[in-house]
Amino acid sequence: MALLSLDSLTKVYSMGHQELRALNAVSLEIPRGSYVAITGTSGSGKSTMLNILGCLDKPSSGVYVLNNTDVGTLSEDRLAEIRNHEIGFIFQSFNLLPRASALENVMQPLVYRGCSMKERRQLAEAALARVGLGNRIDHLPNQLSGGQRQRVAIARALVTEPSILLADEPTGNLDSQTTKEVMSLFDELYAQGQTIIIVTHEAEIAAHCERVIRLEDGYIASDKNNNRLRPSYDI
Amino acid sequence: MIFEMTESLLSALRSIRAHSLRSFLTTLGIIIGVASVITMVGLIQGFSYMLNQEFQGLGSNSFSVQSYTSMEDRLQGKIARITPDDVELIQSRMSDVVSLSPIMYNSNGALAQVRYQSQISRGQIMGTDRTYQEVGQVYLKYGRFLGDGDNLTRRKVAVIGEDVRSDLSLPENPVGEFIRLGSEWVRIVGIAEPKGQIFGQSQDNFVLIPFSTMQSLMGNQTRPDIFLQVSLFDGVEQQAINQRITNLLRFSHGLEGDDPNDFRVQTSEQLTDSFNNILDTITLVMGGVVGISLLVGGIGIMNIMLVSVTERTREIGICKAIGAKRHQILLQFLLEALILCLLGGLAGLTIGYSLSVLLSTLIPGFPSAYVPMWAILLSFGFSAGVGLIFGIAPAAKAANLDPIQALRYE
Repeated sequence: MALLSLDSLTKVYSMGHQELRALNAVSLEIPRGSYVAITGTSGSGKSTMLNILGCLDKPSSGVYVLNNTDVGTLSEDRLAEIRNHEIGFIFQSFNLLPRASALENVMQPLVYRGCSMKERRQLAEAALARVGLGNRIDHLPNQLSGGQRQRVAIARALVTEPSILLADEPTGNLDSQTTKEVMSLFDELYAQGQTIIIVTHEAEIAAHCERVIRLEDGYIASDKNNNRLRPSYDI
Repeated sequence: MIFEMTESLLSALRSIRAHSLRSFLTTLGIIIGVASVITMVGLIQGFSYMLNQEFQGLGSNSFSVQSYTSMEDRLQGKIARITPDDVELIQSRMSDVVSLSPIMYNSNGALAQVRYQSQISRGQIMGTDRTYQEVGQVYLKYGRFLGDGDNLTRRKVAVIGEDVRSDLSLPENPVGEFIRLGSEWVRIVGIAEPKGQIFGQSQDNFVLIPFSTMQSLMGNQTRPDIFLQVSLFDGVEQQAINQRITNLLRFSHGLEGDDPNDFRVQTSEQLTDSFNNILDTITLVMGGVVGISLLVGGIGIMNIMLVSVTERTREIGICKAIGAKRHQILLQFLLEALILCLLGGLAGLTIGYSLSVLLSTLIPGFPSAYVPMWAILLSFGFSAGVGLIFGIAPAAKAANLDPIQALRYE
C-alpha cells in the first residue's frame, strides 16, 4: 500500500461565472521512502497540488488517501492534527515565527500535540543538530542567514517525525552555494528513508529526485524515474 | 485543557511583551477608567465612613429640630422659624423626658461684626448652652466652655474659635480679653482648638455666647431662628417624643389640618441615611461615567487586537500549517485581550488607590480614603468582561483565517 494515493483528484475554483480547473482528475501513488519532485510552469496546478497534499485545502472531487486515512472527509480540526503528525512543511520564504528563537520555532509544532516542555526541548535540539544547527539555537530568525533559516525550517518540519516532508520551492530564496547545502541535506534525509516531495520549477532541483512528476494545465504531463539518486552535485 | 491554557497564556504574554509600548497605550483606556473609579470610590467611601462614625457619636437617642421653608413659601416671603417661644414651650412641657440644646443663629445685622480695638472679624455668632460642647465637639485650648450659670444669669461671656482670635489679633491666650458684639462688650472665657477646614469652609470661625445673652442682645424686634438639638433621657421612646414635639410645634405655629409642617425633625440616623443616599447616587453616577470610559477602552482594545491579527496573519497561517487547531488560536488571542485588560485593571487599581490616598492627605480635613473590596472585585470583573467581550471578535477573526490565504499574506 502506497503512503499516499490520489484518485481522479479534481480541484475547481470558481471565479465569478468562470470555472478554473486547477487540477483535473489527477491520479497517482507515492510509496513510502520516495523522493519526488512535482514540477511545472506557473499555473500548472503545482501550488494547488501542494495545498491538497499538505491538507491545507480539500479537493472538489476525488479521493486523497494519506497513510490509510481518507483525508477528504475530515473536519478542520482533524486536518490540523494530520498536518501536525503526518506532514512537515518547508516553504520558499522559510515562514519562521519572527519573534521566536530558532529553538522555539522548532518546538512550536510540538506545542500543538501537547508535549511537555522538557520533551519539546530535547526533540527540538535533536532536530536542530540533525540539520547542522546545534550551536545557533537561541538566535532569532533575523539574526540567521537564509541558509540557516531554511535549516531551522527543515528542523521544524522534521521534529514531528512526519510521514512526508513537503517542500515548496525550498531553494527559491537561496543563493547557489546554500542551495547546494540544502539540497544535500534533502539527499541525506532521503538516504535515511524520509519521504520527500519537493514542488519546484527548477530542473536542477528536480534532478536530485528519483521521480519527477510534471504538471501541465492540471493534468499529469509526464511521470518519470530519474534512475539516479545523487546526480549533479557531489556531497 | 490546562496544558493548552498555559501554552496559550505563555504565547499571549510573549506577544504582549514584544509590543510593550503598544500594549501599554492600548490598555491606557482601561487604566484610566479603573483608576478613576477606584479614586472616586475611595474618596467617597472614606467620606461616608467618616460621616457614619461622626453620626454614631451623636447616638441614636437624639435628634434635631430645625425650621423648614418650602420653596413656594420662600418666594412669597414667608420664612418659617423656630422661635424662643417654641423652645420654651417644649422645655416646659417635656423637660421630664428630653433635654434641649438650642442654637440661635444671629439674624441681626447690628450683631454681624465682632470687634477688638480696631480689628473686625465676621465670625458666626451663635447663642447656645453647655450642651453644645458635646454636640459641636468643641475642645478647649484655653479657658472653659459656657456653663449653666452663664445662661441663667445672662452673662456676657464668649468662647471663640481660632480664626476669630487671629482676625482680631488677640493674644495667643485671649481668655479675659473683652470683645465687642454690636454695641455690647463680652468677655472671652475660652478658646477652642482649631479644627481646620472642610471643603474650604473654616471650622474655626465662630463666637459662642450663652443662649439667653444672645436673646437679649438681639432684642425683641428681631425674630431669630433656632436650631434645636434634642437629647432623649434613657428609656424614652423616640417615636413618641418625635410625635409630641411635632404636635407642640404645629400647635405653636398655628398649623391646622392638612397644613404641611414648617419644620423638620430629623434623627441622626435619618441624617446619615440621607447623606449616604446622596453619596450612593454620586457613586452610581460616577460608576456610569467610568463604565462609559471602560467601554471606550474596550473598543480601543478591540481595535488594536484587530490590527494585531491582521499584522500577524502570516504567523497565524504558519501556526495553522504546522498543526494549530482553531480553538488554540482563538484561545491565544482571547487570552491576550484578557491579560491586557487585567493588567490594565491592575495598573488602574494601583494608580487609583495611590491617588485616592494622596488626595485624601492633600485636602485638609478630608477623611482617609477607603477602597472597599467590592470596588476592587468590580473593577477587575469589569476589566475581564471588557477583555472577553471585545477580544472575542478579533480572536474569532484570527481563528477563522484560511491557512492558504494567511500564508500568502504579505
